[in-house]
Amino acid sequence: MGKKSIVVLLSIVPFILMLAAIPFVNQIHPIMFGLPFLAFWLFFGMLVTPLCTFAIYKLQKSERSAE
Amino acid sequence: MQGNLTALLITGIIVLGVVLIGFISGRDKTNRSSVEEWSVGGRRFGTLLVWFLVGADLYTAYTFLGLTSTAYTGGSLAFFAIPYTIIAYFISYFFLPKLWKFSKNHKITTLADYAKVRFNSKFLSFLIAVVGVLMLIPYIDLQLAGIQDTLTVAGTGFINVKVVVIISFLLVALFTFFSGIKGPTYTAVIKDILVWVIMLFLVVNLPIIHFGSWGAMIDKVATDSPQLLTIPASGPKGIPWFLTASLVSGLALFMWAHAATGVFTAKSADALRKNAIFLPLYNIVLILLIFLGFVAFHVLPEGTNPRFALLNLIQVSYGGVVQGLAYSTIALASLIPCSIMAIGASNLFANNIYRDLINPKVQPAKLTLVTRCMVFVVIGLALVFGMVFPSALVSLQLLGVSGMVQIFPAIVFSLFWKNQTKEATIGGLIVGLVVTFTVYATGKSFGIYEGFWGLLANVIVTVVLNPLFVSRIKHNSILEQLFGKQQNLRKGA
Repeated sequence: MGKKSIVVLLSIVPFILMLAAIPFVNQIHPIMFGLPFLAFWLFFGMLVTPLCTFAIYKLQKSERSAE
Repeated sequence: MQGNLTALLITGIIVLGVVLIGFISGRDKTNRSSVEEWSVGGRRFGTLLVWFLVGADLYTAYTFLGLTSTAYTGGSLAFFAIPYTIIAYFISYFFLPKLWKFSKNHKITTLADYAKVRFNSKFLSFLIAVVGVLMLIPYIDLQLAGIQDTLTVAGTGFINVKVVVIISFLLVALFTFFSGIKGPTYTAVIKDILVWVIMLFLVVNLPIIHFGSWGAMIDKVATDSPQLLTIPASGPKGIPWFLTASLVSGLALFMWAHAATGVFTAKSADALRKNAIFLPLYNIVLILLIFLGFVAFHVLPEGTNPRFALLNLIQVSYGGVVQGLAYSTIALASLIPCSIMAIGASNLFANNIYRDLINPKVQPAKLTLVTRCMVFVVIGLALVFGMVFPSALVSLQLLGVSGMVQIFPAIVFSLFWKNQTKEATIGGLIVGLVVTFTVYATGKSFGIYEGFWGLLANVIVTVVLNPLFVSRIKHNSILEQLFGKQQNLRKGA
């Protein structure tokens, strides 16, 4: 898989976590780490998204060095 | 309810101290030497300062008070703030660096300026400036309401709240006039540190006071009021509303003049990329703070005005010193963003309405002075509207995000779409605004966020009209800078 398609995949992940998944995680149980499931899911997405951004940042670094 | 004198005094001392720092941080005369220095700090801010500044911009008194009151009345709908900001930061990674670079080359300090240069259209730039100012003044008023509520709860029986609100806003206008962006930036660091310390303390401590522990609080809410912990599946504000509100607000976030001002202060495109990675961290506080709305729901007597949910909860639980520290945090979270908003709005007024349309030959020194003086006009207008027509403002406040997002195609599409024409963009923007207002006025939103319908119409009109005008595009150095160079780069890379 090329660099570009990995970047595209990583760009979709936050939208899936933060929008598409919401109707399916809209529930109280199981309570995880003291958070109702919906809040836990949002917390989880909040931690994963910057990781995606960071991965894209690293992947595109070589492209940018030409700037 | 009687106020609390200790809390009031602490709030007063901290706020005055921070205002003083706002003046001191701008004592160097170069801060006032040009529009670029005054409004975007000469574009010299590194990642950390931009992080503090954008954070200060976006996490306002209204965020804290508004979200807890939404949680108090609407339960988990308040969580929309999380996907909304996460999406906003994530997409910012893809367009802010490009926007920043172009803006630096052309000494651009507002988004309207960008549209003017990109499309060679003063009319489009004027439209964007008008939308920006029109939506921002009500937003400043939300901050005004924030400090007013804080003073009302703490100061009832001790002070004339209105007079103190007016004085504190005039002080902010003065330090903004004097220090420019340096004022809110250095004070933002203090405000953000206070926000982190105080809000985390409240989030940990309040459930312990009232329920014994965080876990006991969650159990109690889950058993007694489960409706608070999930989003309604349908109804006027259900899942479809939650999703469209998150998406549209996310797209709109960096379209706000104050957010754009924060972006333009960055010293490099890389600082903005790093910010896109680190900004989501702010939400750790936010997501937990929403739970305080649920705490308030169980602790406060029925019939409490939801607007005061967080403020009353703090007063009832603590009083005295902690209340003072918490209230000063909220007061600062109202005043400092206000200063940045005033800079953003003044810039739009002075550059894109006064210079472009009224006096194109204005000298740079005079333009700088006009921009700075506009701070008083903007804050004055906000005060007058806030005090005289509080009810007329409500509609504009509700429509703020939906209105702002309509400039998204003009600003962001145009960074990537070479053949986008000004005619189609203007058409889309106008139709988008009309549709948004119509949907709002008729109340026929079908459970979807108003701005979503407007944006949908906007994009369709832009895409459909564009082929009709595409032959008019003249290839010029601007387009080459945005698209030509980059293609060469790709080949080279």
